[in-house]
Amino acid sequence: MPIKGGGFSRKSKASSDVPDSSMADIAFLLLIFFMVTTVFQKDRNQEIVWPEAEATQKIDEKLKNILNIWVQRDGSLFINDRPYTMGEITAVVGPLYAASDRALVISIRGDREVPYNTIDQLQKQLVAAGVLRVVFATELEQRMSRERR
Amino acid sequence: MAVLDKKKSKVNDKVPSSSMADIAFLLLIFFLVTTTFPKDKGLAIVLPEEGGEVEISPRNILHIIIQPNGLVEVKRGESQAVQTVTPEAIEGLWRQDVSENENLIAAVKTHPDAPYRFMVDVLDALHTAGAERISLQLFEG
Repeated sequence: MPIKGGGFSRKSKASSDVPDSSMADIAFLLLIFFMVTTVFQKDRNQEIVWPEAEATQKIDEKLKNILNIWVQRDGSLFINDRPYTMGEITAVVGPLYAASDRALVISIRGDREVPYNTIDQLQKQLVAAGVLRVVFATELEQRMSRERR
Repeated sequence: MAVLDKKKSKVNDKVPSSSMADIAFLLLIFFLVTTTFPKDKGLAIVLPEEGGEVEISPRNILHIIIQPNGLVEVKRGESQAVQTVTPEAIEGLWRQDVSENENLIAAVKTHPDAPYRFMVDVLDALHTAGAERISLQLFEG
């Protein structure tokens, strides 16, 4: 009796399916890896009390082109989490401004009670560094009289 | 009856889990799309270039002097008359003055001991009134 199919009818026991049950696990692993390795902000927020202004506008500039200078109530200055003295500002901001192809916007994040003398000195340092675009960071002020109008 | 008890139920008793990953990704993409990061906000000004001083006719200057107590003294041009107002009143004042003289420049002079927020209040009022020619100085004298 001839063997049907020349003896090839034996079924293979190896599965022909690519295992896909762990695909979601792999995707999540990659996702978590990228979430952990992504760095968003260069500096942490300092504790200041924001000044308020009604004319507060959103700054139309890429996040990487904005440099925050924090001014604490006691007049101490912070750039990228590091304290600086007033005299160092020009030397610190100048190269950063040049590296950004003159697109850098300085956001002065000053405490509302800091004496204006400090802010004025800071402005003079920035002018010496060649910076032109400056933002006084404020919180949006909502006033009742304005809403009633 | 024993016969009925032995009959196997054909309804699957497992919760289908193959689409769970799809649902998770759908949620993930939804939140990715709807998340907005807080944008930087504030009052933008343009600083003068170093050494770029310009002579301005005294007639076109509105002197705004901010005192440490938050009151604002306003002097017009060469006139010595002083008007004391609140920072909020600067908005109306600027609108009125600029309608009379469209070349007007606001010279905001802040006392060194005045808190930063009073300068922001005045700058806010000027921005609200649409002023663009603003000079920020330190009050000396």
